[in-house]
Amino acid sequence: MRVVIVGAGEVGYHVADRLSAEKHDVVVVDVLPERLEYVQTHLDVAVVEGSGASPSVMESAGVRDAGLLAAVTSVDEVNLVCCMSVRGGKNLVKVARVSNPDFYADGAHLRPELFGVDVMINPERELALETLRLLESTAATDIAAFAGGAVQLIGLKVTDDAPIAGRTFAQIGAEGGLTSMLTVALRRGDQTIVPKGATEVQGGDHLYIVGTDNTISASLELCGHKPTTVHRVMIAGGSHEAFYLAQLLRQHRGQATMLVKERDRAQEFAEKLDQALVLNGDATDVELLELEGVGGVNAFVALTDHDETNILSALLAKHAGAKQVITLVNRMGFLPLAKLIGLETVVSPRLSAANAILRYVRRGSVTRVATLKDSEAEAIGFKVSSGSPLVGRRLADIEFPEGSIVAAIVRERDVEAIVPRGDDELLEGDQVVVFALPEAVAPVAELFPS
Amino acid sequence: MNLREVLHIVGALIIWTAVAMLPPTVIGFTEGLAVHWVLTFGVTASLGAVMWFITPRDVSINRREGIAIVGLGWLAVVAVGSLPFALTGVAPTVASAVFESVSGFTTTGATVFPVIEDLPRSILLWRSITHWMGGMGIIVLGVAILPLIGMGGAQLFRAEVPGIAADRLKPRVATTARLLWGVYALLTVILGILYLLLGMSLFDATNHAMSALATGGFSTRTASMGAYSPAIQWVTIVFMLIAGTNFTLHYQALTGKWFPWIRDAEFRWYAGVAGAAVMAVFLFMGISGEGWILKDAAFNVVAVGTTTGFVTADFGAWPAFCQVLLLGLMFVGAMGGSTGGGFKTARAVVVLKHAVSEVQKVLHPRAIFVTKLGRALIRSDILANVLAFLALYVATHGIGSLLLAALGHDLLTSVSASLAAMSSIGPGLGAVGPASHYGELGSASHIVLSALMLLGRLEFYTLLVLVIPGTWSRWGGDL
Repeated sequence: MRVVIVGAGEVGYHVADRLSAEKHDVVVVDVLPERLEYVQTHLDVAVVEGSGASPSVMESAGVRDAGLLAAVTSVDEVNLVCCMSVRGGKNLVKVARVSNPDFYADGAHLRPELFGVDVMINPERELALETLRLLESTAATDIAAFAGGAVQLIGLKVTDDAPIAGRTFAQIGAEGGLTSMLTVALRRGDQTIVPKGATEVQGGDHLYIVGTDNTISASLELCGHKPTTVHRVMIAGGSHEAFYLAQLLRQHRGQATMLVKERDRAQEFAEKLDQALVLNGDATDVELLELEGVGGVNAFVALTDHDETNILSALLAKHAGAKQVITLVNRMGFLPLAKLIGLETVVSPRLSAANAILRYVRRGSVTRVATLKDSEAEAIGFKVSSGSPLVGRRLADIEFPEGSIVAAIVRERDVEAIVPRGDDELLEGDQVVVFALPEAVAPVAELFPS
Repeated sequence: MNLREVLHIVGALIIWTAVAMLPPTVIGFTEGLAVHWVLTFGVTASLGAVMWFITPRDVSINRREGIAIVGLGWLAVVAVGSLPFALTGVAPTVASAVFESVSGFTTTGATVFPVIEDLPRSILLWRSITHWMGGMGIIVLGVAILPLIGMGGAQLFRAEVPGIAADRLKPRVATTARLLWGVYALLTVILGILYLLLGMSLFDATNHAMSALATGGFSTRTASMGAYSPAIQWVTIVFMLIAGTNFTLHYQALTGKWFPWIRDAEFRWYAGVAGAAVMAVFLFMGISGEGWILKDAAFNVVAVGTTTGFVTADFGAWPAFCQVLLLGLMFVGAMGGSTGGGFKTARAVVVLKHAVSEVQKVLHPRAIFVTKLGRALIRSDILANVLAFLALYVATHGIGSLLLAALGHDLLTSVSASLAAMSSIGPGLGAVGPASHYGELGSASHIVLSALMLLGRLEFYTLLVLVIPGTWSRWGGDL
């Protein structure tokens, strides 16, 4: 499939990287030649210089034959105009990135069809949602929700004195732990494996567990963590992500203290965010952090636009005693470093944007894609459509490829998540969450035709 | 400053006042006051006509002319409005005639007459008409009906309508003014009909309906609303609350917006304060053994809180707690955009919220705080204006009280009378309490109180600008 990506920034680059790796024909459009130069030297993609808002530029990018147009520049208006003005084939799916909170203010929303847009994505808000879920389960390092939150995928680090440390999954299952949830992956060092009954859990392992909302807290305890609630959160940064997170915290009755360096932006936040305490200051200002009691907050979230500021302020907060620290890291190269210096919980805007777009690349039955940060492993939500040959078959009779595992089935009728066993039958309308290592992604997708 | 253009418009306002004198003039013929009223009407009409015709017709109003029109227009109208009291001989002194006129147009409702029933019916009607004209505003009326005040209308409108910011119902200010007067007139007619149905005479119903919707307070009885049935009093309570509410909200309700009041933050505060004060007075009176008098508590608290000033009980004899509470209500007053006076609910809320964030600033020196009323942001320049208004209110009240005390009145009388005048309440406490009147204070006190009433009604800025020399200079900005 030909994919045209407008915008070669962080989001565009990452989407191009993923899609190109999946053997799609990717064309990247951007106004800045030096960005295109960078994209071209690192990825196997074609580039076109020019504005995405120009129909002739889009024409030369080959949008007429494309199956997907992803307008993901950092300027919402350019993305919208781009989608409005292109003339593509009738199978073209148009995705526009629209991030500015003003477009969503007061419950109003742009009507995508007016702009000829099939899907609007808001990576900044996705990231804020992910951060909120991480805040709600303090110990989690990754989190993703499927089927409107009925099923969650959570990444947890096993502590050395955790109840399940030193046991095999067969033993844990026999003792009644982890019955209503499923460990879909285990990461030890640089290795990601799909665990079997004989696999032993060790302290320091990273478990990826799928379960329903209320079983997640049980898994926290099994991995040696205490469940906590969100009260006071300090958010550093004047970004859209910071804004959305403060909004979400308010809905969840948390108290946000915001550190915003730019005076105008701080004023704007103070005007628009009613419950938040907005401070005009630098996130790395040690005196200010101390004055505002960074040691006493439940969580510190660094969401500025600069990785360096985020990492430094997160370290300062952690050192001062903040119980949970979440750091936004843009550059993939910093990720291993962040882990090394003790910043376990990292969020990445590129991943959240890519996840939102990848869903529409694997069109048809796919409802949600979540990529784990350290590996390329994905959790993919599929819908069992009416004509599917899978309807009525038992899981044990379906040949799932090596490196994949059915993590959960969500049945619409009673909105209940089922932890699958071999003799469960698939019904029409079920949502199936499949966890797959990269090499298994394509074969799994073939099992669920649209 | 183009004074001749200003006088042209002021002349028009005086002519309009003369027109308003026609109904009482007609009644004057039936009670032997024909000569007095015809003289009054003639003087007023010819004064207005002379000013209108000797000044240029083509009028352009800018900022300073607009302010001068409102300030001078009010002074001129209250001056000619005092003529009926002076020329018919009901007022003992010139100062008392002026006082009664100012009290009428500013919707204060303080009276110099000890026994109201002794007054001619034409005078009673004139008192109510002054209330009704001043309630929605003589200038707003002018903007609504005088086509020539087109360009500078917005300026005039803002200078007269009380509150933080005059909302515009429609893009054109003349249309807005017409709609507001329409709502006002409609509500007055509705109340008048209700009064008739509840057994009032046509004359009393007309007078009290005009007085209530203007949050005035003049009555045709010495006992005020106390002379009427409980049903009439309850209806009056509701309509006093309506009159103290921003009329923009009433217009929205009439045009089909579902219950717009509850969505307005200022209204929620206004209704909340009124409800809490009624309950506080009711419970305190009950518990302290003065009697469980819900109707009187509600009526008098609402009458003071909306700055109407009707009375049904002598709250001057209530326990000190209730009197102090009433003094507080006198200060806060009604909503912006209503016919009521006072500091205004919105301003009080904004000042308090700002004070709270200043306290928080001690804890969080780097924090940025914004003041909001409901969902509306109060910009820092508006906040500064509100704080300056508070300073003017307190300072003017202080000076007024000091002058009254210098004239020989006691502490409670001085403090309450100056506050009741500025907030356009009417009855104060002490010697000017609900059981008493303003007739015995003396001419000097009448002048002081008249000045306070005008300052309070026009919210200071408009009148104070008139005494700044720069306003009158030909070239403008040389302050």
